[in-house]
Amino acid sequence: MALSITNLSKQYNVQKTAVSNLSLHINKGVLGLLGPNGAGKSTLMKMIATISIPSSGTILLEGIDIVQNPNFIRKVLGYLPQDFGVYPNLNAYEFLEYIAAMKGLGGTGLRQRIDLLLEGVNLTADAKRPIGTYSGGMKQRIGIAQALLNDPKVLIFDEPTVGLDPEERMRFRQLIADLAQDSIIILSSHIVSDIESIADEVAIMQEGKLITHAPQYEIIKQAEGKIFEVLLDNNDLNAFKHHYKVIDTARQADKVKTRYISTAQAAAPLSAQVTATLEDAYLLLTQTH
Amino acid sequence: MYPIIKADYLQRTRSYSFLITLAVTIFMAYSFIPDQNANYTTLSASGYKGVYNSAWVGYVSGIMTTVMLTYFGFLLVNSGIKKDIDTEVGLIIATTPISNFKYLLSKQLSNYLVLLTIAGITFCVSIMVFFYRGTGYPFILGNFIFPYLFFAVPALFVVAALAVTAEVFLGKRSILQFIIYFALCGICMGFINSKEGAETAGVFDPFGLSLLTKSVTQHINTHFNEHLTKVSFGFIFSDHKSDKPFIWEGLDWSALFIGSRLLWIAFGFALVYFSSLFFHRFDFKQAAGTKKKIKELFSTAALKPMIKPIGINRTSLPALNFNYGIYPFVKTEFLLLIRQGNQWMWLLNAGLWVAICFVPLQIAYSYLLPILLFLQVTRWSELATKEKSNRVHYFAYAAYKPLQRMLPAQVIAGVILAIGLSLPVIIRCALAGSGDVVFNIINGLTFIVLSAVALGILTGGKKLFEVFFFLLTYAVLNKVPVTDYLGSLPHQRMELLMLNILGINVALAIISLMTRRYQARHL
Repeated sequence: MALSITNLSKQYNVQKTAVSNLSLHINKGVLGLLGPNGAGKSTLMKMIATISIPSSGTILLEGIDIVQNPNFIRKVLGYLPQDFGVYPNLNAYEFLEYIAAMKGLGGTGLRQRIDLLLEGVNLTADAKRPIGTYSGGMKQRIGIAQALLNDPKVLIFDEPTVGLDPEERMRFRQLIADLAQDSIIILSSHIVSDIESIADEVAIMQEGKLITHAPQYEIIKQAEGKIFEVLLDNNDLNAFKHHYKVIDTARQADKVKTRYISTAQAAAPLSAQVTATLEDAYLLLTQTH
Repeated sequence: MYPIIKADYLQRTRSYSFLITLAVTIFMAYSFIPDQNANYTTLSASGYKGVYNSAWVGYVSGIMTTVMLTYFGFLLVNSGIKKDIDTEVGLIIATTPISNFKYLLSKQLSNYLVLLTIAGITFCVSIMVFFYRGTGYPFILGNFIFPYLFFAVPALFVVAALAVTAEVFLGKRSILQFIIYFALCGICMGFINSKEGAETAGVFDPFGLSLLTKSVTQHINTHFNEHLTKVSFGFIFSDHKSDKPFIWEGLDWSALFIGSRLLWIAFGFALVYFSSLFFHRFDFKQAAGTKKKIKELFSTAALKPMIKPIGINRTSLPALNFNYGIYPFVKTEFLLLIRQGNQWMWLLNAGLWVAICFVPLQIAYSYLLPILLFLQVTRWSELATKEKSNRVHYFAYAAYKPLQRMLPAQVIAGVILAIGLSLPVIIRCALAGSGDVVFNIINGLTFIVLSAVALGILTGGKKLFEVFFFLLTYAVLNKVPVTDYLGSLPHQRMELLMLNILGINVALAIISLMTRRYQARHL
């Protein structure tokens, strides 16, 4: 199974272009989508989820144009939007039954499937309570359960780890790794470490355009040799920021351990070159593009 | 406070539903002054009608605006605080230094501005209608300004304050708010033809309208040697062509009356202040509610493992079966309709339903059924808007064939509920051998459900349908023939009326389908 996006654009009006001439080929596995706010990630995901029609371009799933035939992908789609809601008067079980009806699921196995999914997201004990009384994390887990109801072959997760505690995030990552064996997973997150630990490939977007799309290690390679750390006095930090792009700082007694990018100019004195991470590469690419 | 009021006002007026409301307002303002040959009047004084001079046009327009806007304006503006709760902006507001009184006052004033905007439009339309209907009488601006200034402006201030008070004390119980509010309005309307002395006429009436009724009846009694005691307001249908014309020159405003208007405005302020003492400031009790439930929750929490995060074993999940029918949708949509709002409302519904079984059929059909149906207004207004308001539309629109399955299921669920509520009347009519009446009722019920769906989809909100349904019910209870959607009144050509409603139903269904089809692909 493969998803092929060609010359995709979404223009809301003359001034606002959300996605511009984007081409992407996605195979089985996890594609991590990174980009600053307003980069067009959610719009791209909505277009793949068929709830937003592109201004131009094509999206093909197994060679079928899903812009023209949206129901082709809808049968195998699991979608977790960024700011989804729930019906507060329904309980978890009833809500999942409703979503199952939307997805065209039924039969004798449905009840057991919902039970197991609720158990999987640890909501069995609360399944009879109205969802309106749930915490943010519990609602997010309901969102994850609904996305998995139809054993989807294409999964779109927009900021899926929001509201999950650290252990839940870790388990969620394991779940994604399991699903990625036979599904296409597109996952966006502002937490670069989530993408780093899950994604096989990474696509970085900025201002509606695709900056890069490559296996994770190749993207990190672009930052190799350009990331340094140095210990600075507190008072020197602001002046340092005028010369270098600072990625991160950490207090150490009366000093500040400063991680920074150095591309064109030489590294600062007493600096040590460090191993680049995906976050370093992401910042390097989005700041210098 | 000005920026808060401004932002709130702009937020409310920048919507399609407000634009549609304005369009309806213009139409209504035009209809306040009917053509000389029209079969209805808006101010009826038993066999007499005023000539269309400045005073008559200006005053009738002013009082009709006051009365109509008092009724449906409340429905239009009584969700300012609810919006802040739904959008969770309230939580931010709660952490700012703004006092409860200032916050509620800003809500009241923005309610007021919305109502004044509408009143301003009817004011302009009334002047245009005066020239359009022109009967050669001179144009006197004061005859247009004063009725609006002394009737509408103070009355709408009180309406805006009552809307805030109702939200503070009755929160989400919107049907209860409507019932109490309309009961209050009914009491106030009772003052209009009160027998108080001429000096104090209108002083104790928030509308102030008894001043006008006294003046009109006295004028007719003096000039035509009559003994009239009252006049009626509203859209009153009967043959008024043979009414005798009379010239009425307007009111003399007394200082006492003007002072009383200021007192009513002060009463509005007092209502807001009183409400601020009890305002929740967005700090709601936990859902658990009673001590027993809290105890139960704690005991279950203790039994649960503290952390047992996501861990789905996909291999253990049963095989998928597909079912693309709409029955599961209808079931859930019906469940959502039943659970919407407070459960105690079902007690009231049950009481009315039982009453409909036993009262004379004509009363059940003409009065109790429209009231029972109106009590479900908040259920039906949510039919096609709840996906958006609950942010479930992402799932709904990305579902398999949402238009062919979900939208029909919503309409079917709504109609099933409507038929269930109307069952006593339907069965009684069927037993009486009136098969055509049964068709008329089901046709009318479908009209209500499709109106809710179409207006909800078109505007993205509930308000327009709620106001429309209120006005429709008001008109039905006042026996306005053209609004008789259930076919309970005698008509010369009943089949024509029903065919019209059927045609509207088809049009509403097509509009809903086409608009939703566009929305589902343009998020």
